[in-house]
Amino acid sequence: MPLHVSVFADHKAGASPHECEDVAVVSAVDEAEAPVRLALADGASESMLASMWARRLAEHFAQACGSSLASGVAFATAAARAASGWPRLLADYQADRVRDGRPIAWYERDGLAKGAFATVLAVQLHGPAEPGEPGVWLAAALGDTCVFQVRDERLVTAFPLADAAEFGTSPSLAHSNESNWELVARRCRVHQGHWRPHDDFYLCTDALAAWFLREAAADRRPWEALRDLGTDALAEFPEWVAERRADGMRNDDTTLVRVTTW
Amino acid sequence: MAYSAEISRVSPTAFVFLIDQSTSMYDAVGDGKRKQDVVADALNRLLYELAVKCAKEEGVRDYFHVAVVGYGATVGSAFSGELAGRGLTPLSEIADKPARVEARAKKVPDGAGGLVEESVQFPVWLDPVAHGGTPMCRALAHAESLVAGWVEKYPGSFPPIVLNLTDGESTDGDPAPAAAKIRAQATADGAALLFNLHVSSSDAAPVVFPDDDAGLPNAYARALFEMSSLLPDHMRGYAASQGFRVTEATRGFVFNADIASVVQFLDIGTRAAELR
Repeated sequence: MPLHVSVFADHKAGASPHECEDVAVVSAVDEAEAPVRLALADGASESMLASMWARRLAEHFAQACGSSLASGVAFATAAARAASGWPRLLADYQADRVRDGRPIAWYERDGLAKGAFATVLAVQLHGPAEPGEPGVWLAAALGDTCVFQVRDERLVTAFPLADAAEFGTSPSLAHSNESNWELVARRCRVHQGHWRPHDDFYLCTDALAAWFLREAAADRRPWEALRDLGTDALAEFPEWVAERRADGMRNDDTTLVRVTTW
Repeated sequence: MAYSAEISRVSPTAFVFLIDQSTSMYDAVGDGKRKQDVVADALNRLLYELAVKCAKEEGVRDYFHVAVVGYGATVGSAFSGELAGRGLTPLSEIADKPARVEARAKKVPDGAGGLVEESVQFPVWLDPVAHGGTPMCRALAHAESLVAGWVEKYPGSFPPIVLNLTDGESTDGDPAPAAAKIRAQATADGAALLFNLHVSSSDAAPVVFPDDDAGLPNAYARALFEMSSLLPDHMRGYAASQGFRVTEATRGFVFNADIASVVQFLDIGTRAAELR
């Protein structure tokens, strides 16, 4: 498939790198006929084991087939399958803690019983049937992790949120102990579109996504800076993020999955 | 905008609880439980919930430092066990060092529509005490020294909050000047806050978060009202979400508190906008 995927991540300022609760998983980039599957999950910082749940979701959706992204019901059903493995993961985690001489403390029990929460965004890009034809892309999301499609210096798609004002309110989240997946299905968003050679895609967790939309609304072309990341033209990602935070971008774990096509 | 600083591990905030331990705290609240027990139980519960709220896999995050000062026959730290004598203490240490952990029975759903008893661990930091007078001026002065030390160490933090729980008038003078000294301390984010709660033996209805002193029954109540800071925006918003009628003049003050309003006072008075 004529595309390249890069992942950039920086942890919240004031936290340690291992405390980052964003997880990005990319699969099938090197297989000629397979769709590229991308998943980006953002663990809720108030949850215990948020990053473990975010990883569970991201790994699950990076392996999921396209039909899982076809409807809210299909997406919620796939998320439910990810959640069905949670009790086993939790039991293994607790056993590991005992083995490490640090059993679960009293103040962790409530949080573990409540379960973990995370946003999740899954994107799949299918190759064109013939060279020069557009390909199909699918996306499904629960929460405020976003994907932006840019073509010819224009933002053509913003999913699932299109306005920076929509951030900050409590997003819908995937819950490891969910009991009502039918309700979750109604909160899931899905999208299907076409992509052409030289389209770029930017998957962003919420702090970066909100910044992107604010910049785009002010005609400041946020994709230009993101396109230059990892080249000599721009500082390393953590330095760039620190500058944006000084300018007002929210201090949070910040992850970008960039897809450039040709 | 004041009272908007991030609360984080590098920039935590502080709570100082002052608890009246005078002899009259042995009397019952209107609904039967002793005032000393109501206050100790509510504070133990609050410390439990703060620790749970800040708990992550690596331990309890020190978004808060907490002091509990008892005032009665003496004025000083009300912590016991390993924390005895401690002033402002990081929350992680408080979580790791309760005075004791009790096994208590708790009813939980059994998954089949019924309830089953489960034994749960219940940490206890504070025991009820009721002995002596009400040296509120000394207690407020002690709180002021803790707050002054804090603002020097964390000059940019969300301002410290002092919460005073009492059942009666001061026996060591007019507390208003000492209260004013606390409110005169400040970080870059605003003045230190002082909230007051009066827990009562009477059946009179509680006055909860008033915005003026018109409904208060006596000069003592009006004096405590005057000593109390305004609720900052995010606490006002939270109080409104809990069903309280609030205005920009609403103060962190409760008079004639019953058990429920003690819990509400502590809940609203320690509400943090966001923990980063």
